[in-house]
Formats: sequence, C-alpha cells, structure tokens
Amino acid sequence: MTVPASQAWTVARYVIGQKLRRRRHYPLVLMLEPLLRCNLACAGCGKIQYPAQVLRKNMSVAQALAAVGECGAPMVSIAGGEPLLYPHIARLVDELARRGKYVYLCTNAILLKQKLEQGLFKPSKYLSFSVHMDGLAAEHDESVCRDGVYEQAVEGIREALKRGFRVTTNTTLFDTANPMRVREFFDAMMELKVEGMMISPGYSYEKAPDQAHFLGRERTKELFAQVLSNPQKGWRFNQSPLFLQFLMGKRDYECTPWGNPLYTIFGWQRPCYLLQEGYASSFKELIETTRWERYGRASGNPKCADCMVHCGHEPTAVNETFGSVRGLAGAAVATITGKL
Amino acid sequence: MGGVPERLEGWTPSIGAEVPLKAVVELAFRYRGNVTVLKADGGQITGYLFNRDAEAPEGFAQLLDEDGEGTITLRYRDIRNIVFSGKDTAEGNSYEAYKRRKEQARTATRPN
Repeated sequence: MTVPASQAWTVARYVIGQKLRRRRHYPLVLMLEPLLRCNLACAGCGKIQYPAQVLRKNMSVAQALAAVGECGAPMVSIAGGEPLLYPHIARLVDELARRGKYVYLCTNAILLKQKLEQGLFKPSKYLSFSVHMDGLAAEHDESVCRDGVYEQAVEGIREALKRGFRVTTNTTLFDTANPMRVREFFDAMMELKVEGMMISPGYSYEKAPDQAHFLGRERTKELFAQVLSNPQKGWRFNQSPLFLQFLMGKRDYECTPWGNPLYTIFGWQRPCYLLQEGYASSFKELIETTRWERYGRASGNPKCADCMVHCGHEPTAVNETFGSVRGLAGAAVATITGKL
Repeated sequence: MGGVPERLEGWTPSIGAEVPLKAVVELAFRYRGNVTVLKADGGQITGYLFNRDAEAPEGFAQLLDEDGEGTITLRYRDIRNIVFSGKDTAEGNSYEAYKRRKEQARTATRPN
C-alpha cells in the first residue's frame, strides 16, 4: 500500500475502533455522487443513462456534508458523473478536508488542467485526484469511446503532480485486456510518478452500452494472475494487497456491500455501489432495512455471481487485515516484500 | 411475463391479471426514461421513477418531477397505471456508434 502514514493510521484506528465496538455493518469509504452528468459516455458505464432533469441535478453541499456526517466513514470517494462538472466541487472538497476526511476525487481528468490553472483546489494530504485510466492510449481511448482522452488525462496528471497534489489512477479491466499491455501501462503510470494505482474488474452494469466484454469470475482470476504475477519492484498500488491476491484467485472473499455505501441525488442506494435495487432516505435506514442476506456470491443472487469489484471486496480484505492474525501477517508480508 | 413488449418506450400497459400494477411499477423503476403516472383520482404526474418499495407496510413509488425540483411519493393504491412516455436513455447505442465511426475512419484512411 502506498497511502501516506497519516491516512493509513486514520483508517487503522477507525477499523480497530469499529471492531472493538463489535459493529458489523461499518462503512469504510463513502461513495458520493453529487451529480450524474458526465462529459464522456464510456462503453462499460451504466451510471449516466438518465433523462435530462436527472442529469441537470446537483446535490447541495449541505446535503452532501450531512450524508458524510451521518455515514462516518474516514474516506470519501467523490464520483458521478464527472465531479469536475459539479459547480460546488471546490467548496465540497474544502469542507471535507476541514472535517479530516480523506477525499478521492474520481475524474476522467479532461478538465483537470483547466481547473488547476483556475486555482480551484489547494494541495492537501486529504485530497487525491483519482484519475480514470483504463490502459495505454489505444485501450483507454477505446474504453472511453473518444480519441485523445488518454493524452488529456496524462496532461492533467502532470499538471497536478507539478503543483504538489496527490494523484492516483483507477483502472477497470474488461475481457479485452492484454496482460502485457496492462503491465506496460503500470510502468507508464509509475514513470509519471503517480502515488499509486487502483485496479478492478468491470461490473456488468445492466444499462451499459457494451454488454459483451464484462469478465466472469474465473476469467477475472486468470487475467489478474497474469497481470500481477511477478510484479515489477516499482509498482505501487493504492489498495489492499489482500484484495489484489483475491483478484488473482489466491484468496476467497465474500462481498461486504455496506463497506462502500453510495449516496446519490436519489438517496442511499441499496444494496451497493453497483446494484440499484432502491433507495433509503438515511444511512441508518439503509443499514437496518436492507436485506443483506440477498446479496453477495453466497446468496446465489445471479447479479452478484461474477462480481469481484473493489467496492464490495476491498472492505472485506481490510476487515480481514485488522480482524485476524493471518490477514495482518499476509498484508504485512506483501507490503514488505512487494510480492503478491 | 406475457403482455410486456420488448421495448417499453411508448408503452401503455393494460393492467390486469397478466400484467399486474406491481410488475409495471417494477418495470418503470428499471426504465431509464420519464414515465407518466396515471393516478386513481384522475390526475397524472410525469417524471423519473427512481425508487419503489413493494414490501413496505404501505407500498410506495417515488418520482423526480420533470423539472428536477421535487420528489413525489405515491402509494401503490393511488396509482392506476404507468405510461412509458419518455425516451429510454439506456436504449442508446453510443458504443456501437463509436465503433462505427472508428471503422469508417479506418476505411477512409486505408489505401486503395
């Protein structure tokens, strides 16, 4: 893991605190979607197909902060839609940092350079730009259905790093991924000097335009084993090594759907970031009234059968890290040796 | 379920034993376009049906109105029918369109 010590300590203290209180349904990262409109229409994304009045809608900062306060997670991932299109993004980030929340601003970076030049953000240990990068130029531009976006994103990353911001990347892999090209992509991101990379298999969104290239469970393990075996020494991942081992098929985890709860303009989404089974009006209602036993692979729910996505399984990995000697030892060995 | 067309856009269901109201609300919830709810009192509301709970003590559906300003909550028993009046935004073919454009560009630059 490559997160700063202060962030690692905050998360560790939080998780241990939840365990001491014997709280089972605790959130780790709040996924916050203050808007759903985007300046891209990616083939694998099912998040933005809505009528105009929905796409025009912006969550108020007060509403977002109330959700963050109610949830209590130490980290907030601002997604969408494209957060840099959200008119109150600077104020929201500022308010979250003042509350000691570690913010991942998930962006396609098309507007990043422009927003930085406008002085919208200040570098902070609490703010990291998490730039969407699905591979090298050919693969990324294909994935986002627009030529030239990779170069724009690289330009944004360079500008952010030059100005002293934390920058990570987030990458979704589909069954078209070529393991060697993915490894070359990791090298390229490390050369850019991003803080760390996050990777995940894509989820088969019901409403995504391209339904043909989502990964099944066995294919996911095969692909990630090829990508991550014998990792280069310099590769840095901004996620739990136990989760990466899960993707490689070395560990078996069940989903923790409440680990990364999603708050959108519609409310608290049931049951998770990916499945859209309805909305609760408060976090308490989400936790107490969602029929959690209906979700995850063990439930037999076909919508969960092939899912190995980070938002459900990374919280499981983190929970194991702080909940068992085996987990803690496994994470420590992988972190020290760099071997997965 | 019989009596449900493959494309929902423009559909006015015939509520009955074959297509019960509860199923139509569920279809409207999965539909990525505006719908028009015909109310039992004779009124109607158009908006995006973003939530429903058939298992609540009093089953309800929620809509974001056409202006995007207000949320309207309706009990199942206050709903007579739902018309799939708006464009299905998930019906789009942006990926196919992109692939077609790419192919056309490749063909255009290919030497004869």
